[in-house]
Amino acid sequence: MSHAHPVCREIEPDLLAVAVGEAAPVAAERVEGHVARCGACREELRSYRAIDGLVGTLRRSPLPGDDATLARAKLESRLADLRSRLVGFGIFPSPLGPILIARSELGVSLVRYLGGRGSMASTIRRLLGEEAIEDRAATEALHAELMEYLEGRRTRLDWPLDLRRARSDFQRRVLEVTAQLPYGAVASYGGIARRIGAPSAARPVAQALRWNPLPIVIPCHRVIGSSGGLVGYAGKKIELKQRLLTIEGVLTEPARRDFRVRREAMYALHTGETEYCLPTCGSLQSSPLSELMLFGSRERAEAAGLAPCTTCRPDLHPLPA
Amino acid sequence: MAEDAFEAVVAGHHAEIRRYLLRLTARTSDADDLSQETFLRAFRAYGSLPAGANVRAWLFAIATNLCRNHFRAQKRRRLAYAAVAFDPPSGEAGWADGLALADEAKARIEEVIAGLPVKQRLAFIMRRIHDLDYAAIGASLRCSEESARAHVFQALRKIRRGLEGLVPVETEPQP
Repeated sequence: MSHAHPVCREIEPDLLAVAVGEAAPVAAERVEGHVARCGACREELRSYRAIDGLVGTLRRSPLPGDDATLARAKLESRLADLRSRLVGFGIFPSPLGPILIARSELGVSLVRYLGGRGSMASTIRRLLGEEAIEDRAATEALHAELMEYLEGRRTRLDWPLDLRRARSDFQRRVLEVTAQLPYGAVASYGGIARRIGAPSAARPVAQALRWNPLPIVIPCHRVIGSSGGLVGYAGKKIELKQRLLTIEGVLTEPARRDFRVRREAMYALHTGETEYCLPTCGSLQSSPLSELMLFGSRERAEAAGLAPCTTCRPDLHPLPA
Repeated sequence: MAEDAFEAVVAGHHAEIRRYLLRLTARTSDADDLSQETFLRAFRAYGSLPAGANVRAWLFAIATNLCRNHFRAQKRRRLAYAAVAFDPPSGEAGWADGLALADEAKARIEEVIAGLPVKQRLAFIMRRIHDLDYAAIGASLRCSEESARAHVFQALRKIRRGLEGLVPVETEPQP
């Protein structure tokens, strides 16, 4: 060993650095000078260089079992699974209070009015599960569009939706049909029930919409009771429903602990028709609300692709604004 | 979520990270599991990785951390087996056994590396096999760059001692 002499001991770390090619020029020079005089250290340096060379061949020689193909395929499939379950969310202020927006790989999966109960973290875990990560970048644009909508500057939220949170096929169908209700229109729970081919299921429809994972986006606020009352919204947030309808130009009047849509002040579309009418046209007045869709204005009806009725001519005799 | 970017991360680094773990664990099944876990963790955290971060060093840090936990668990299992006086189950053959190394010195190096204390072994393999810099190794081992370097050099000294008499060195006449 060359460590006997204090000078050799002192220069040893630099000698190692030189052997593995990591020495600073000054240190390299010092080592060079030293090994020119000290045979033991010269030998030491050769040994270390030989080891470094062997380690180099080790680095290049193949490892048994070093075929990552299968492991890579397994990883890709786990990642695909994780991606499909992973949810990115953002929490934003809104005129309706703090609101949570979450999206998955497939689309927007949850919009939620956040109440004051419980800690935010536990609420999020309860709502979204463990695979949720805060991702404002992925949700910020959605929030901006939602704000435009709530300010009446936007009438559509053309978002891809992820309805995997639907609790049943029935609820999924209810949500899909409700999503098609045009801006500024209202239909009844019974009307949605008819559209999904279960005309007697008005109450189950109301229950399904009570658990709507995507309020506003899937406009359950446009679905009302058979007598024109707003009935309910997101628990006890009936005022919110009234507010959302007002933004869309659907006027309501206060009723007992509720609000009521004034059917006689709205344009009507009968199921199966493509023309919208005055509420007094033909037998419309006696038709149940479940057979109608109501619009707050001609503009809204026409934006939904409807033409004015050629009999009652709402275009010539519009309702008083 | 920057998913396409992460696909590039997998494509660029999975094979190397798995090779690193294979060298450390000497078992393909462990290398498969640990490399998978490394990338699943990385995927979850990828969104919060600052732009311009050294992704490769970051992956090595995750893999190193998982590997150390794996070694600790292995040690606990071994101790538990010992406590009930069982022989530990014989695993796959160590890869050094399976590898037909022409050179005895090379085989001895493998042996010495396998027997190093964990930190020295990790530091040495990261530095000399995977060519990571000391900043990255320090980050992986949660120590300073100087300590990382010290670990590598200490490993080198032990390899040198382990190879006493084996490394072909021309001896010179003493002056």
